[in-house]
Amino acid sequence: MSARRLLTLASPRHRRRCWCTDHGSLALLMLALLVSACGRGPAVDATQVSARRIQAPLPVQDPDSPIWRDTLEHPARLMVQDITEPRLTAPGVELVRVRAVHDGTAVAFRLEWADTTSDLIPESSRSADAVALQFPLQGGADVPDPAMGQVGKGVRIWYWKAVWQDDERRAKAGAGDRVAALYPRASIDHYPFEAPSVPPGSPTAEAMSNRYAPALAVGNPITRRPPGGAVQVLKAEGFGNTAPAELQQGSGVGRWREARWAIVITRPIDAGPDLAPLKLGVRNYVALAVWDGASGHTGSRKMRSGWTPLVLEAP
Amino acid sequence: MARVYNWQLGREMSYWYSEQRPKRQFGAVFDINKCIACQTCTLACKTTWTSGRGQEFMLWNNVETKPYGSYPLAWDLQLLEQMGEQRWNGSTYEGRTIFEAAPAGERVLGIMKPSGDYAFPNVGEDETLGAVDKGMALSLPQQIWMFYLARICNHCTYPACLSSCSRSAIYKRPEDGIVVLDQSRCRGYQECVRACPYGKVYFNPSTGTSEKCIACFPKIEQGIQPQCFVNCIGKIRLQGWISPPAQAKADNPIDYLVHVRKLALPLYPQFGLEPNVYYVPPINVPDRFLVQMFGPGAPAAVRTYREAKHDKTLAGLFALFGSTERTIPYFKIVGDSAVALDDDRKEFARVPIYEPVHVRKAEDQLLQIMRSNTT
Repeated sequence: MSARRLLTLASPRHRRRCWCTDHGSLALLMLALLVSACGRGPAVDATQVSARRIQAPLPVQDPDSPIWRDTLEHPARLMVQDITEPRLTAPGVELVRVRAVHDGTAVAFRLEWADTTSDLIPESSRSADAVALQFPLQGGADVPDPAMGQVGKGVRIWYWKAVWQDDERRAKAGAGDRVAALYPRASIDHYPFEAPSVPPGSPTAEAMSNRYAPALAVGNPITRRPPGGAVQVLKAEGFGNTAPAELQQGSGVGRWREARWAIVITRPIDAGPDLAPLKLGVRNYVALAVWDGASGHTGSRKMRSGWTPLVLEAP
Repeated sequence: MARVYNWQLGREMSYWYSEQRPKRQFGAVFDINKCIACQTCTLACKTTWTSGRGQEFMLWNNVETKPYGSYPLAWDLQLLEQMGEQRWNGSTYEGRTIFEAAPAGERVLGIMKPSGDYAFPNVGEDETLGAVDKGMALSLPQQIWMFYLARICNHCTYPACLSSCSRSAIYKRPEDGIVVLDQSRCRGYQECVRACPYGKVYFNPSTGTSEKCIACFPKIEQGIQPQCFVNCIGKIRLQGWISPPAQAKADNPIDYLVHVRKLALPLYPQFGLEPNVYYVPPINVPDRFLVQMFGPGAPAAVRTYREAKHDKTLAGLFALFGSTERTIPYFKIVGDSAVALDDDRKEFARVPIYEPVHVRKAEDQLLQIMRSNTT
């Protein structure tokens, strides 16, 4: 590949930043160094997540929006959760590339990590891929324990789970329920609620169906999510007491391609004290966690980060 | 971990929570020798509780053939292999329980069961150990053996599912010791599925939560035995209440069979959960296998069972199995009858201990045909 060809592969922004020549071997060496340094994406801020303020609408639905390319990237290093049992003993996803933009009202985070499999629907011994962003309920430097907070110093979590997004995709595509997706060749003899005597789609059929789905019947919010509900907002004050937050404001859209997940999670900047308000121009904090479904990661079996500084660009 | 007393092991052991026994504990006795694996219990449970989406593979009650059958696949063999050889010293267990053998970072030594492990509920069905050749066909006593093992949740005193749940979504009901999984708290982590050594917690992919046997508690609350008990055509099951040994009552049917006569034994007591479904062990199985499965009391239990028909109390108690839908908290023998008593020790059912025996001649002289017993 010629040096000139290599140059054309770099983004316009990078070409502006990089000075190159194609004369002689020295130039080739320099070129290699430059491609190495500049050709892998946007500039990196290893110290914090910097949310750029933009005037355009937030790319809340689009992990591939060009807006992300011009946004500083924070490489978040993850570690095994080894504080509480069950712990994770073998490392999973160790690096998440984080970018963030905001419009003064909401902040969108783009989270990207390598994952050789997209695990959508959990089944026995296999869970769904998931990612979460965690914020201290109260701002300031006196942050709670980064591992799910602590009693009296809670956290709020925006939790995206692949199965919830896939539920919506299948519903739109008329692709059947989770069982049909997991076992497309399965033949089911009979469901009582699909007996000929029960009118399809009737309240009777639904009531019968719920009778055999107790979690659905009692309204467990993890069973079915509302449209656009691939993200659930959770509250916690330490391990083991995670519960849905009273306010559910946020969204999440992800795509898996070429062995990488890219998820956009959006949350309001300040929707009141119950949703861990953020402030512009000062240091906030965020922490991350990733679950790899193929490895059976669920609950406390996860990769997590510590608190990472988060700065939302002031106007 | 706390230290708790497990009377089935004859010693204290480590457990995630401190010892706290319910007001009374659901208990049951299954007489394996009477089970014919008709699966009526399985169907009774299936149609009652698990006929929904995501429950297709789910059998809260199942009957498997031992030694080769298992559901989920090799649920017991996998764990036995992982635990390695363990040892009893008389009636005291000197090996490690699944709580004591938990690897670093785990609450319990558990095994994750892939969904394919639930795909063969009939594996090993009716298979005997060894091949029957012409010589063996007439050889007695039985050298070729198998038996049917009916299984439900054991509603253990020290449940592994409960201790493994980091969300405390599983609890023992204080009024009856039934282990239930709160469907509003469960977030589908599957720790309980991994932890239960009996493979009796299932993940429902449709709801994303785990589910398990609830001992038909709505029936229990009305004083009625669970579906798999009252539908058992072999009348192998009796549901009641099990006391700790020190509080055992001789007129409590479960206490009598478990504590007084030591005839009914827990399933794999060495796992350490103090399971509360007790089995009258099969009489045609080698002692070594029985000891592995039911503990060191198995050979004596078999001897007692062989003589049970001559023991009026035992024979009467077994006659009460399947005689009534109602739970039998107490019983007594009156003359040639066995009597079921309620919580106030008032009679509500009575059965003859020995049924009259009628022998019909092989030839029906009236119709002039030979009778057959294979109708």
